[in-house]
Amino acid sequence: MSKRRSSSGKAPIVPPGSVTGRALIWVIAIMGFLFSLTAGAVYMIDDSRRAWLSDVSSEITVEVKPEGTRQEVDNLARQITDFLTGQNSVRDVQLLTEEQSAELIEPWLGQISAIAELPIPRLIAVQLDVNDPPDITSLRAVLRNKFPTAALDDHRAWQQQIRRVTGSLALAGIAVMLLMAAATVGIIVSAARSAIASNKEIVEVLNFVGAEEKFIARQFELHFLKVGIKAGVVGAVGAGLVFFTLPIITDILSGAATDTEIRRLIGTGRMDMFGYFSLLLVVVIIAAICSLTSRYGVRRILNAQNQ
Amino acid sequence: MIRLEKMGLRYGLGQEVLRDVSFHLLPGSFHFLTGSSGAGKTSLLKILFMSLRPTRGAAYIFGKNVTRATPEQRASLRRRVGIVFQDFRLLDHMTTWENVALPLRVHGKRQSEYADDVTELLKWVGLGERMHAYPPVLSGGEKQRAAIARAVIGKPELLLADEPTGNVDPQMARRLLRLFIELNRLGTSVIIATHDYQLMTQFPAPRLVLDKGALNIHS
Repeated sequence: MSKRRSSSGKAPIVPPGSVTGRALIWVIAIMGFLFSLTAGAVYMIDDSRRAWLSDVSSEITVEVKPEGTRQEVDNLARQITDFLTGQNSVRDVQLLTEEQSAELIEPWLGQISAIAELPIPRLIAVQLDVNDPPDITSLRAVLRNKFPTAALDDHRAWQQQIRRVTGSLALAGIAVMLLMAAATVGIIVSAARSAIASNKEIVEVLNFVGAEEKFIARQFELHFLKVGIKAGVVGAVGAGLVFFTLPIITDILSGAATDTEIRRLIGTGRMDMFGYFSLLLVVVIIAAICSLTSRYGVRRILNAQNQ
Repeated sequence: MIRLEKMGLRYGLGQEVLRDVSFHLLPGSFHFLTGSSGAGKTSLLKILFMSLRPTRGAAYIFGKNVTRATPEQRASLRRRVGIVFQDFRLLDHMTTWENVALPLRVHGKRQSEYADDVTELLKWVGLGERMHAYPPVLSGGEKQRAAIARAVIGKPELLLADEPTGNVDPQMARRLLRLFIELNRLGTSVIIATHDYQLMTQFPAPRLVLDKGALNIHS
């Protein structure tokens, strides 16, 4: 028999042990953990997407086709670099060396001596003034007129692809979170039904002394709210630890050039303070799901019994 | 206060356990409800307490037809009624004191408002030394007294008691009857369902006699 007292010194009207067992806390904690992991992953994907888009949209690349001798291509690339440097709204222009261009394709072709023999286009990286961006269409037209073998790439296709891929991943993450929230609601409804069944006598006595359904529901809701907070904290702390150790583990396990590229693509797996703050939000969401579901679940059950 | 009009009750498809029951209970009245076992005393009390609905006829409690009352309205009406069950219905995880204070707690009163009243009532029913004990360690008589104290702590307008002296000695039975009479003098209407003829002889009150589901009133 539970003799536990509340902080006010009064025994809880419904004993906690009869409402929520340890198994329920663990099930909800696992849900909270998975929910937090998914929320963190969605946050990091979004973070990565924003970083990528901000990088990509502030830069354009001019590609100089390798037509003619090396010397000719080199001269042309320098002329284009000078031309671009003179343009308004251009912050910085950098002509990539042949070695730098070769390095960019190295992850796909490997370190082979034949790279030096390949007709690799010369690339010019142009940093734009994001506050006063140039008119890319007219810049492209001018460039094509003046230098027919040069092509301007504003990375629009790449941006769209990033948006599409990250948007799909975020939607998938949100769908998974919704599914987990629905599963949590189902678990709580079922637990509320069992709690009422195992506390039938208490519910009857409360009815006899004139308690309204909302009062009775509140007695159960308080226990479920506590379960939600406990389970949410366990889940969020677990997920927080995963996110904290993830970059350390990937640093230890990685090192190859391809790993660097992949990390550049999907991010480092490092979560910032806002990310950890979003895990706190998960605790609030889990606690709210437990509390609201039990409130409405218990009231519905009592209402059906009292009709 | 209570008006029953040709009220009938049956459980499922069985025979009627209460048939054409009609009576009018005025505020401040005192009645004994009696009859042989299975005559329908507890069923009638359950209808008066709104835990059962008549299957025909009408039952008006405090002027409200309870067959049409919503759960909230029934809860509100129950706050004006105190009930003592044959099987006590005390909550085992609460002390005697907390059990008795439960109706006031449910009604939203602060502990400081009712603490003295609860302690005083428990002393009056002879449970002053047992107020911190839990129901599983109380004797049948002590549980009975705790159940009565819980029913009367809220000073109900109507008190329904199902065999309230069934588990106590004659001396305590007289003392409890005095409590009911005192409450009645203060304005509470009382209906005591009992087999105890000796108890009924101690106070001149009309008797509602149930016989095979039919009700007769003996003044």
